[in-house]
Amino acid sequence: MAYHLSIFTENRPGKLKRITKILADNKINIRAISLASAGEYGIVKLLVNKGEQAFGALKQENITVSKRRILIILLPDSPGAMYDLLVVLSERNINLEDCYGFVVESKKQAALVIEAEKYPQAEGALLEKGYHLLTDQELDTI
Amino acid sequence: MYWEKHVEIMEVGALREMQLKSVNEIIAKAGEAPFYRDKRLKHLKSLQEIAEMPFTKKQDLRDCFPYGFLRKDLTEAVRLHSSSGTTGNPTVVFHTKTDIENWTNQVARCMYMIGVRQEDVFQNTMGYGLFTGGLGFHYGAEKLGALTIPIGPGNSRRQIWFMQNFGTTVVHILPSYALRLYSIFEEMNLDPKKDTKLKRFIIGSEPHSEELRQQIESLFGIKAFNSYGLSEVCGPGVGFECSAQNGIHLWEDYYYVEIINPETGEPLPDGEEGELVLTTLQRDAMPLIRYRTGDLTRVIPGKCQCERVHKRIERIKGRADDMLIINGVNLFPIQIEETIMGIPGVGKNYLIEVKTENFMDKLYIKVEVDKEIFEGTLSALTYLQKRITEELKAEITVTPVVQLAEPDTLPVWEGKAKRVQDLRNP
Repeated sequence: MAYHLSIFTENRPGKLKRITKILADNKINIRAISLASAGEYGIVKLLVNKGEQAFGALKQENITVSKRRILIILLPDSPGAMYDLLVVLSERNINLEDCYGFVVESKKQAALVIEAEKYPQAEGALLEKGYHLLTDQELDTI
Repeated sequence: MYWEKHVEIMEVGALREMQLKSVNEIIAKAGEAPFYRDKRLKHLKSLQEIAEMPFTKKQDLRDCFPYGFLRKDLTEAVRLHSSSGTTGNPTVVFHTKTDIENWTNQVARCMYMIGVRQEDVFQNTMGYGLFTGGLGFHYGAEKLGALTIPIGPGNSRRQIWFMQNFGTTVVHILPSYALRLYSIFEEMNLDPKKDTKLKRFIIGSEPHSEELRQQIESLFGIKAFNSYGLSEVCGPGVGFECSAQNGIHLWEDYYYVEIINPETGEPLPDGEEGELVLTTLQRDAMPLIRYRTGDLTRVIPGKCQCERVHKRIERIKGRADDMLIINGVNLFPIQIEETIMGIPGVGKNYLIEVKTENFMDKLYIKVEVDKEIFEGTLSALTYLQKRITEELKAEITVTPVVQLAEPDTLPVWEGKAKRVQDLRNP
């Protein structure tokens, strides 16, 4: 099981900097980041190598943060890979609530992070089709 | 259970009789002060006749600065308290020894009523000095015999240090500061429920909502009691909630209580909302006849379950001069607080701003989110923002711009919270 950190922040200069400073001070590596804005505020989602430690450090500094369960799917870094994956999910009527990706190794391997509405089904379907789902521990090594 | 049983649960008829006698005595005494000398105050045959007496207003106190209300020789006064006087002359109030004794007795009676006893440890976080909140409670607590810590406001870590080391059980605190203090407990990884012996909070000096009281009670695991007072008639101790927490008893042996229509000055019957008017019955240095407090409330009809006969008023809705007029609509800041503090997801602090945009008034409400129940989705936040907007619109009939803020980022105050900022063009 994996999760990323979801942070409430006001949309103003310096706010994101403050968050990354806390991570830097705690020697935490950011593997992926995504931002969603609702105008004057937004949500920052962070995928980091040491989730539990990062969560504690952010809480300590009074950051409004929560853990969100996710699936991290390893895919070939090639045309059509995401399409193939979405075929599996849409056939089972699984909706995505949030999604972003990052390249692990250029032209070879990429990872897709999803927040889905039906976790056991999504996870089961992907494992059945032979997809590799990353765990928290693997985030530090890939 | 009662500090002065013979007064607190006396028969109502006897109380009115005593008040009529006291009113006539105080009218005679007030006539010795320059302000009342030419007001032709007369002897009353019934308490109803008090409606024929003129009002005394805050402006009168300012206009007669500094000695116009003093009936005694200045050498008999032992203390003065004063407002800050940011607009014109300050309001200066003198006390003789008798006044200090009476005031102290009122505060002790209030504290005893909510269960404070000699074995309690009382931490007074209110400001000492010209402000009456600190010294008023200090004297009352000492008279009661409680160990009193005169720490004054601010320095939250030190406040917590004293609470822990001396087993503080009772705290006198501004409601806005109570919330601020809780966040310092959190920062220190302490839980006031487990890590202190706190039992009771006395909250006052700022109008606050029932919702805010309940929030303070659940955060600290204590009972919070609403304190009412005003420096013009002494300070805190004028009225207090009993353990029923259903209205503030005003001490009718010290004050004659009226509620009037603030526009016409007509007396209103119990139950109707209007401005509180007090006649001091035992003030020695500066008696006040029909003083208009500016505070809006109503008398709660019926008997209190605590058996005390002294009239209860509802929590203060606001001062008449706190009222905001937004594009012609009247509203009180307390209505905004009552609404937003009842919504899950709303944190501990908020700020109200009024600005002029395109020649119209625009109301901005900044609300801190509650970090404990943040679930991490944008949709939950936009829903919260929308819900606050809708509920406020239903309550105040003005559509505000609601802005969500991170916890502990809105301004906090060491003294009274200044949550309303009117930035409109004059």
